[in-house]
Amino acid sequence: MNSRQSRITRVPLGRWLAIEFTSSVIISLLWVLHSPLAGYSAFVGGLIFIVPNAWFAHRVYRYQGARSAHLVVGDLFRAESTKIALTAVFFAAVFTLMEPVYVPALLFTFAVMVLVGTASRWLIRPQPQR
Amino acid sequence: MEMVFVAAALIIGLGALGAGIGFGLLGGKLLESTARQPEMASQLQTKAFIMAGLLDAVPMIGVGIAMYLIFVVAG
Repeated sequence: MNSRQSRITRVPLGRWLAIEFTSSVIISLLWVLHSPLAGYSAFVGGLIFIVPNAWFAHRVYRYQGARSAHLVVGDLFRAESTKIALTAVFFAAVFTLMEPVYVPALLFTFAVMVLVGTASRWLIRPQPQR
Repeated sequence: MEMVFVAAALIIGLGALGAGIGFGLLGGKLLESTARQPEMASQLQTKAFIMAGLLDAVPMIGVGIAMYLIFVVAG
């Protein structure tokens, strides 16, 4: 067995979430230049992505190792279903309860955060440790 | 106005279908590759987590647009 293959991989979940939150704040500050309502809506759009994503990451890494592979896959499916359901509920709550809301800023920030989240996972690779 | 609900249903349904097929393949391959090489289990799990992020990007945006159609355009 190759020694490199047997290393434990440390997952930078905290770093990923910190980058997503910082990106959300930066995009919101840019929208504040348009109007304070747009900045507020943009921040809410970022939170609608970050909260379900944090839940997903927490659930997926509940189990680790080859003996728990079936539990990992089961949690992957359940976490993804919950993530999409939470996103739908948060959007519905914002569109019905939050008044007024600047929809372009909300949807634009959400779409950008989806891309930022994917890119951050891709660019900041987990570091193998002994 | 009914067409807005049909459009939202199509967006959510097709997005869920694509994500379901993709996650089924991803989970199956993860189980298969973990059974072949158990020593790489943690690295494979991380790669599956990264691919899950790529996989659910389009359905997530679809859910946002569908909720906008239902609650703002039709509401």
